Amino acid sequence: MNADVFTIKNLDLHYGTLQALKDININIEKNKVTALIGPSGCGKSTFLRCLNRMNDLIDVCKINGDVLFHENDVYDRNYDVISLRTKVGMVFQKPNPFPMTVYDNIAYGPRCQGVKNKDKLDKIVENSLKKSAIWEEVKDRLKDSAIGLSGGQQQRLCIARAIAMEPEVILMDEPTSALDPIATLKIEQLITDLKKNYTIIIVTHSMQQAARISDNTAFFLTGELIEYDKTDVIFSNPKHTKTEDYITGRFG
Amino acid sequence: MSSKRKRIDNFLQFITYAAASIAVIVLSMIFIFVFRNGASLVNIDLLTNDYHAKYYNGGIEEVTEFSQTPKPNYLDDEDYYSEKWGIALSDEINREGKMVVIVTFVADDSPLLQMFDKNNLDNNDFKIEKDNIITSISFFSKNSALSMYGAKHMIGELDTVTEFREMVFSSLGGGIRGSLITTLYIIGLTLLIALPIGIFTAIYLNEFAKKNKLTNAIRSMIEMLTGVPSIIFGLMGLAVFVPLTVKYTPADSANLISGSLTLAVILLPVVIRATEESLKVVPDDFRNASLALGANSTQTTFKVVLPSALPGILTATLLAIGRIIGESAALIFAIGTAIKDDISIFGKSTTLAVHIWSLMTDEPANIELASTIALIILIIVLILNIAVKLLSRNFVKRFS
Repeated sequence: MNADVFTIKNLDLHYGTLQALKDININIEKNKVTALIGPSGCGKSTFLRCLNRMNDLIDVCKINGDVLFHENDVYDRNYDVISLRTKVGMVFQKPNPFPMTVYDNIAYGPRCQGVKNKDKLDKIVENSLKKSAIWEEVKDRLKDSAIGLSGGQQQRLCIARAIAMEPEVILMDEPTSALDPIATLKIEQLITDLKKNYTIIIVTHSMQQAARISDNTAFFLTGELIEYDKTDVIFSNPKHTKTEDYITGRFG
Repeated sequence: MSSKRKRIDNFLQFITYAAASIAVIVLSMIFIFVFRNGASLVNIDLLTNDYHAKYYNGGIEEVTEFSQTPKPNYLDDEDYYSEKWGIALSDEINREGKMVVIVTFVADDSPLLQMFDKNNLDNNDFKIEKDNIITSISFFSKNSALSMYGAKHMIGELDTVTEFREMVFSSLGGGIRGSLITTLYIIGLTLLIALPIGIFTAIYLNEFAKKNKLTNAIRSMIEMLTGVPSIIFGLMGLAVFVPLTVKYTPADSANLISGSLTLAVILLPVVIRATEESLKVVPDDFRNASLALGANSTQTTFKVVLPSALPGILTATLLAIGRIIGESAALIFAIGTAIKDDISIFGKSTTLAVHIWSLMTDEPANIELASTIALIILIIVLILNIAVKLLSRNFVKRFS
């Protein structure tokens, strides 16, 4: 059985004339947390957005190479991008709950897929909120606006919203960068819990965070994948001097 | 050096103060003018009365039993009362600014209630009542009592007779019920046409259209339309919409539908612009979140983006209503200036703004009633503006 969820081969990405990703080759392991680190502008967020084709929204974006999700090329002409995004959820840097009730936020994704049954939706909402460790805090506020929640709660709500789609993979784009340390800690615990059932790919600027929660770490620099290995290898015994320079804080 | 800087500073500040005061003074002067001229006529009757007075010719058999009712206490010396006929008359200036003799009281046992309609003997609703205007009373054996001689003369003449040939009286008239209803109809019809088209165009331009030269060209053309004088749209209404509605509806001339279509065209750029602005304010985060959840772009637009933009769209709607109420030039062509009391969407009638225009082009111009209508329009617009403020404040709160 192939334990790789994503297999990326020779991926090049251009924004107009600017090459943002150069010849990326990487395999993402199932039920592991993979951290993507690197200085700002190195292409790690761009890479993340290739995996659920969110780069489609940018007109000038051109992609070459293969992004295989369970051995199917997601950039194939016939690939159903909607079904890809239901299997590959995403959590953004800034908590972005919809200006609706907590309940409607979670039920949004399933409803878009045509789930109308009230009992089924109730169950999905409860399960998703429980899995993202926010159920106890919001169970009495399901009919309140999600905008009223704290930043940390909003971000866990966004994770719950992604989980409601029963994805296989959750992409997280610096999910804690807008949060305070306590909220960050809660999200990190949550990520550790979630990897039992989900494959998680997380972009982070915090090397401590990468070291704490990830199994594998990929180091990006100016659009290239410099090094990809087990997290403890990257942080204790990096093969490249550039990686070592970055994680010891000599630049970036 | 520093004193020079201070002088310049003071001078510039003075200019801003002066400009602000001039603006405020001019605006308040308009309001005061309208208020002083128009406030005296504002009452519920004005809003509910017909504009065109209805004239009646009343005849009466020889009267044997006269009224017993004494003059009621609330009437004053200006009200001339005939105990015999049970009627009080007074000299007043009506809404058209003319001196008239007005009925201020009719006793329950007044013999005048036995008058019959000389033009239609079967008319059982025929009755003289308070606020009717008496034009003349003609007698059998002496000169008629005309309203120009005043109420006192008329009562005096009445007291000397037991019958008369004819009493010509009319309803008060000058009311704006018809124009008010027309305005409401026009608002409803115009919004019905302009809002869906405008909102969907804005959604297309902002959410679905590719960002290319064609889209930009469409957008700048729409912007250009905002600056076209409305009277040109009025000409277009007369040339296009009036014949079109005459052909496909029961209407046989300019009508409320042609007027609404014309106004809808004027409003389209306003609605499109305002809706587009409110769509632009909706953060991309919402769109990304929705798309990342496997929603397609239509679901994203209608389930997330549009509800978030709703307060802005509502603001656009209120602005549009304000524009409809205030528009006159285009409507003069597109629905005509005839003031009507019986309103049909296939018929001619005018809105309040055109009503003002009609009053002022009458000979003589009726500034009082025009100011009263202006006051009513100002109040409506003021209420709308306050509503817009409250809504947009709400809108800002939602996203910050």
